[in-house]
This record gives sequence, structure tokens and C-alpha cells, in this order.
Amino acid sequence: MNGNELSSAIRNCLGEFTTYSDELGELDRALGDGDLGITVSLGAAAVEVALAALPSEAKPSEVALACAKAFANANPSTMAALVAGALLAGSKVWGKSPSISGDQIAQFALAAAESISQRGKSQVGDKTILDAMFPAAEALLAAEPGTSALDAAIDAAEAGVVASKDLQSRRGRASWLQERSIGLQDPGATAYLRFLQSWKSANGSTPTAAAATTEDNA
Amino acid sequence: MKKIINEPTAFVDEFVEGILLAHPDLLKTTGDDLRVLVRADAPVAGKVGIVTGGGSGHLPLFKGYVGRGLCDGVAIGNVFSSPSSAQILEATQAVSGGAGVLFLYGNYGGDVFNFDLAADLAELEDIPTMTAIGRDDVASQPKERSDGRRGVAGIMFAFKAAGAAAERGDSLEQVAAVAEDIIENTATMGIGLSPTILPTTGKPSFELGEGEMEVGIGIHGEPGFHRGELETADRIAERLTERLVADLGITAGDRVAVLVNGMGATPLEELYVLFRRVHQLLTEQGITIDKNYVGEYATSLEMAGASISLLALTDKRLALLNAPAESPFFKEA
Repeated sequence: MNGNELSSAIRNCLGEFTTYSDELGELDRALGDGDLGITVSLGAAAVEVALAALPSEAKPSEVALACAKAFANANPSTMAALVAGALLAGSKVWGKSPSISGDQIAQFALAAAESISQRGKSQVGDKTILDAMFPAAEALLAAEPGTSALDAAIDAAEAGVVASKDLQSRRGRASWLQERSIGLQDPGATAYLRFLQSWKSANGSTPTAAAATTEDNA
Repeated sequence: MKKIINEPTAFVDEFVEGILLAHPDLLKTTGDDLRVLVRADAPVAGKVGIVTGGGSGHLPLFKGYVGRGLCDGVAIGNVFSSPSSAQILEATQAVSGGAGVLFLYGNYGGDVFNFDLAADLAELEDIPTMTAIGRDDVASQPKERSDGRRGVAGIMFAFKAAGAAAERGDSLEQVAAVAEDIIENTATMGIGLSPTILPTTGKPSFELGEGEMEVGIGIHGEPGFHRGELETADRIAERLTERLVADLGITAGDRVAVLVNGMGATPLEELYVLFRRVHQLLTEQGITIDKNYVGEYATSLEMAGASISLLALTDKRLALLNAPAESPFFKEA
């Protein structure tokens, strides 16, 4: 996938993803401060503007960088800063590659999760976005050629969202709720799952790790 | 709510505009955005730049410490809210004189995330950065978890010392080490008598009964660890000083700088009543006060209350505090 293809895939995905902003806002009102819906909708709008302004020869890492900057500035919340840092960490993995493979997408996902883990000082099990991100990244990395890596990542993220429901929030505002957070669905992890699902429904499973890896091998 | 304001949402832009109009010789903006201020002669070629930033509502913190011998630039957030990474990056670019930039600010989640992101963005622009985070509020975490402490008034010592180190030509690593050294040897604790009222909501940040005080309060109205009957100035000074001396582990023969800081609505007279007792207490223990500051250095809008900060001194630290500095809010001749 070259930069231009990546840019269109992201824009397609965001059109779908923003339809979940009310759901995410509701989940965040129960567990956080309720601004996740706005972070997502303002952030997505800013990303679309930034991507439209990029030259068509932009490299994939430049596409990711433009997304990071736009998302961070749209609504400078903690979540936006963490996600932008994650996108930057991922874009470093891609370096100057003119086109990215499925394996590079998986490495991006892992670097992104590690960035949030380090910056946010949290791990899987703390009931955060990482409960979906790490399992999904591992699924992308482990995907066998010929299978849909994206489907595997969605399944893994969904399992993470479900499992974290019964956990107690350990980071951020949500942790102030202590035991009352148990049983509530984590908005961050849900957002990541909805992003992956939106990618699939907008772009199909085709530009996935496995498919791209197969192409590379051919 | 009774405040001298116009549109609550315009509050920050309007007071920044006022500061700029009052001090055009000392400060400037980087463009149309009033949320990034730098010293008038920025960037200073070959000098390490220091960028600070944080929420508004704390004047003279953070904007008041931009000037010669202090910080070079500041990114300004809304009242009690972090500035954006783009604003921090803009300040960074505007003060970069080719020797790197130190980020020096207080320990709050939103600020840390946005400064970290700005560091990533600065790296892409080939501006090396380092970070030192003020965390002097002893009431917010015990000593063994001091990395999690909030940054409050005591960060002023770090601004002054790191600013002096940068001005004399220290490298980025050296300026960062000076800031870190000061931060590790600074302790602050405060009490609150009345809440802050946010201009946008018009609501008090906390409720405090008549005749009550909150001990260990933050500068955004975060609760402390103890609420009780209002005590005399001497008793308050004793309570705070005892805790700070223990936290820093200073004893007879040691030297300190003392900062008695007003939270916004407490008169200077009361601060001097506190300082009087702090001086007596330290002198009784054989601890010498080599430098003192009494006044408003980090406020919380109209909150009534005060904090006391101690910095354990060495000759090196004292020399940095005594080096010349000038901003609209801070002067050391």
C-alpha cells in the first residue's frame, strides 16, 4: 500500500468510524469525562482536512505523521495526545518506505501500543485502549499468509473489550471510580475495536497484513 | 460569581493581550496565536532555550517566568487546562537558538502527555529537547513516590536556576541537570481557606465551611489530606515547616531558600506573618535562610491560602538564584 492508497483507506475508514462517536461519548460519560465522542469526531474531521492537503506522492510515514498532528490539535485531550504519540511511534517504524507491507502494518500497530503503554504507564489489564491494542497487534503479527489478519485482529480486540469489562479501571479518571468501574465497558478499548471494524467495512479485508504479505512473497 | 471579566471564554486571550500591551519591550507572540509567548529577543543564538507551559489561572506562573535569565517561551492553556502540543512546538521553534530546548513544567497528566508529544514533533524538526518536571508538592504523594507529586509554587526555583544556567551558556544536558537538581531539593506544602471559581462554569472548585481550612491543597483546588478548623498563622507555619524540613532531611547547619507564596486572595501582610514564624522556626533549628521570597509566585485565581516552599541550598544553587533575571513579574538585579 503506498501513501496515497493509505490516505484514501484512512479517509474511508473515518467516515464509518465517526458514526460511533455517540456510542463512545456515552461509554466515556459513564467511565471518564465524556469527551471521547468529541475527540473522535473533531479529530477525524481534522485528519480528513490534513490528508486532503497532502501531496499524492506523500510516503506512508508522512501520512501517519499528518494524522498524528491533526488529531492532537483538534481537541488537545489526554487521549488525543496519546493516540498522536502512538501514530508518531508507528510512523518511525515505516521510515522512508514508499510502500508498506502487511508485516510493516503489524509492526506499526505494535509500536503504537508500546508508545501508549510507556507514555500512559499502563499495561494490558488496566482497562484501557491497550486491552484491545496489544491483542490486535499480536494477532496481526501472528497472522498466517492467506488468512485475514484484519479479521483476526478484530476478533482479538473484541475479546479484549469483553474481557476488560469485568476489570477495574487502573489508569486515568476512570480509576477514580474504583470498584464502580467493574462491569462498565472501556471506551478507549471500544474505540480501537470500532476503528478496526470501520476499516474492514469501509475497505474490506483486502489491505490486510496477510494479503499484503502474500503479495510481497509473490 | 463576581469577577472583572468580559466573555468568560475570552478571558485567557484578553489577559494575555493585556500583558503583551503592557510589556512590549520584554515579551512577544510568535504569530496571531496569543497562546504562545516568548521573550522579546528570542531566539538567542547558541543558548539553550527553556519552554514552560500549563493551564492559565496561576499568574505569575507560568507566563510570568518568561524573560532574561528565566524561561524563553511559554505555551498557554485555558484555565487549568494543558496547552496543545502544537502550541508547545511553536514555542519550541521560536526559542530554539541551536543549542537545544529544555521543557520545564509542572507534573500534571495532560501537560506531560502534550509536552511529550511536542518533544516527538520537535525531534522531527531536528530540535533536540530534554524534559524536567516540577514535582514539589509533598502533600500529594509520600517521599518514596515523589515522582508522582504535583508541581506547585516551588517550580519557581527551577525556573530561576535553570534560566541562569542557560544564560551563562551551559549545554542542554547541564541545564537539564541543574533543573533536576533543584527539583529534587525543593519541597512545598499549601493550605487553602476559600475555593477558586472557574470563569467558564462560575462554580467553586470545592466547598469549605466557614472557619475551616484545607491542608495540603493543590493549585487547582485539588483537595489536601486534612480538613480542619482554621488555625493561627503560627500554627500553620509550624505545621508546614515541620513537614518540609523532614521531607528534605535538612538539619542544623544547613542553608535554605524560603518561598512564602500567596494563592491569589490572601494579603501580603498575612504572608509576612507566616514568614516571621518560618524564620523563627528555622533559626531555632540552626538552619540559615540565605534567600527569601514573599509574595505571589503561583496562584489559583482567587483562592485564599498560602504555600511554603523550601529549597536546600548549596553555594552553586544560591549563585544561580542570585544571577540577574528580568520578566514583567520577576526581577533579580
